[in-house]
Amino acid sequence: MPPRHLIVGGGTAGLNCIRTIREEEGSVASEITLVSAERPYSRMVLPYYLGQTIAESHVYTATPASLHAWNVKTMLGRRATGLDTANHTLTLDDGATVEFDDCLIATGSRAAKPPIAGVDGPGVHCFWTLDEARAVIAGVTPGSRVVMVGAGFIAFTILNAILSRGATLTIVEVAPRILPRMVDAACADIVARWLADHRVTVRTAATLTQIEEWRGKRKLSFAKGDPLLADVVIMATGIRTNLEWLEESGIETSAEPGGGILVDDHLRSSAKRVYAAGDVARGPNLLTGTLEVHAIEPTAQEHGRVVGANMAGRDVAYRGSLVMNIVEVAHLDVASFGQWEDAGAEVYTAVRPERSQYRKLLFRGGQLTGAVICGPAADIWTTNDVGMLKGLVSTRVDLSSWKAHLEQNPFDVKPAFLATRATARLLPMTILGRPSRSPELPQSVMVK
Amino acid sequence: MKILALHPEKCTGCLRCELACSYMQTGTYQPSKSVIRVSPLEGYTSYAPYTCTQCAEGWCMTACPVGAIAITAAGAKDVIDDKCVGCKLCTIACPYGTMFYDSDTAKAYKCNLCGGAPACADACPTQAITYEAVETADWLGDFAAERTAYVLAADRAGVRAGVA
Repeated sequence: MPPRHLIVGGGTAGLNCIRTIREEEGSVASEITLVSAERPYSRMVLPYYLGQTIAESHVYTATPASLHAWNVKTMLGRRATGLDTANHTLTLDDGATVEFDDCLIATGSRAAKPPIAGVDGPGVHCFWTLDEARAVIAGVTPGSRVVMVGAGFIAFTILNAILSRGATLTIVEVAPRILPRMVDAACADIVARWLADHRVTVRTAATLTQIEEWRGKRKLSFAKGDPLLADVVIMATGIRTNLEWLEESGIETSAEPGGGILVDDHLRSSAKRVYAAGDVARGPNLLTGTLEVHAIEPTAQEHGRVVGANMAGRDVAYRGSLVMNIVEVAHLDVASFGQWEDAGAEVYTAVRPERSQYRKLLFRGGQLTGAVICGPAADIWTTNDVGMLKGLVSTRVDLSSWKAHLEQNPFDVKPAFLATRATARLLPMTILGRPSRSPELPQSVMVK
Repeated sequence: MKILALHPEKCTGCLRCELACSYMQTGTYQPSKSVIRVSPLEGYTSYAPYTCTQCAEGWCMTACPVGAIAITAAGAKDVIDDKCVGCKLCTIACPYGTMFYDSDTAKAYKCNLCGGAPACADACPTQAITYEAVETADWLGDFAAERTAYVLAADRAGVRAGVA
């Protein structure tokens, strides 16, 4: 009998896992079952759906037809409620059970709202799932007054879309500055000034105390300062992993902030033949080896592919994930890599306030370990060498002889990248120990 | 498969490759839109063309959340415009710095080997860029290591003199 793989969660990690299983096994196919509360879609592109540059059909990463062609048995619209790791059985919300030989837990995360009066009221939304995106789309119309609570990466990914819908936008943040977990204070300052020039009001150090209905609008009150009125409130106040359903499974999770299922270098959980990937997995950081939840797309992709290869019988160890983010706000690019906030690092920065440009390079010894980038998207120098920074961080080439140059010219990374032969180190590097395939799968897969 | 082999010792810095590339890729003669880029080295006395290696991992391709980067018949990783949403994830995922974003079209773009007839190789008057069935390699590493002594020496002199 062919092995029975069970994938719980149809997001980035789950779909990458399924694709990789099929890539590895060629024409001899195992049995794959996908349990997913929603039809598979890419969260990463929901802001473009909100911004009306893509149709809703564009967000789906698989269709019933494509899953059928890939010979995946689907149980969509169903939630997992329990996992029996001894008997290899999953229980669903309708009481049904699914037996498996190995299982991937990839149930992702959800938006988390602070316990404040009124956050569950009408006109108050999150923006994390497709359903939430639909609700925001229905609510944000030309002339709408939108208040976004939280000035982190997620909030910034939908900033352009809200403006493009003709709404006015105010962002409130409890921290003293914006983007506290993505860039440093100097960069945040440049972004804040840019936003002020682009019709976005930012209010920092603002502690929301309650949201109430007032004459058909939402009234937001704060610990200090005037209240705000809004047609639509979007809570972008963080996320939480979807792990509650595993409480009785015995699978080890972390008690640290961010939580997550503890996994080894093959993304295996503490339970035999049970893997975890994506936002629910506390996997290794590429640079430090520390287990962390990154909750970013590239980590979920790599996790999913590594699990897929291992489920298909390969022995693929994972080196770890690099934290990286890029977001464009009103045509200003902001990106960060690796250990961009590190008190023990040697730091070189360059600021060109008149061009809204900022760059920060962080070194540990001769190695680049993190970077922050900011600049106008139309300025080719902003992101011209952005990938090379990732190359330098992930290969850990010795830049000792280049540090003086990079200290004086943090924008001139390319000669250092070329001369330290980072390319030679990069060329043999692959995640799965083989060349990657095109994203399309074989037209159809036959079960033996 | 055939790939672009780069021979920096033959490059004169004429930038014809950049013009040919930008014309093929975007229909305009704009070096800033070229996906092959010539770097000056050694105080503008040496030059080296640099472009996508069509690497085995295809970091751009595996990073794309909507499958908008695929392998073409020529063996190149290429952006499918209709699928690209312009999220820029590929530009930070590519560790070679050879994924670009066109703010005019709001799409990512990269070297696609011009469908098997690369305009840069065709335009190069000195065969510094050739299209050949060879293994991809770090074409520029040794050359750049040798031809950057000038800039490093200048930096050391600057540091000694206390020049920031």
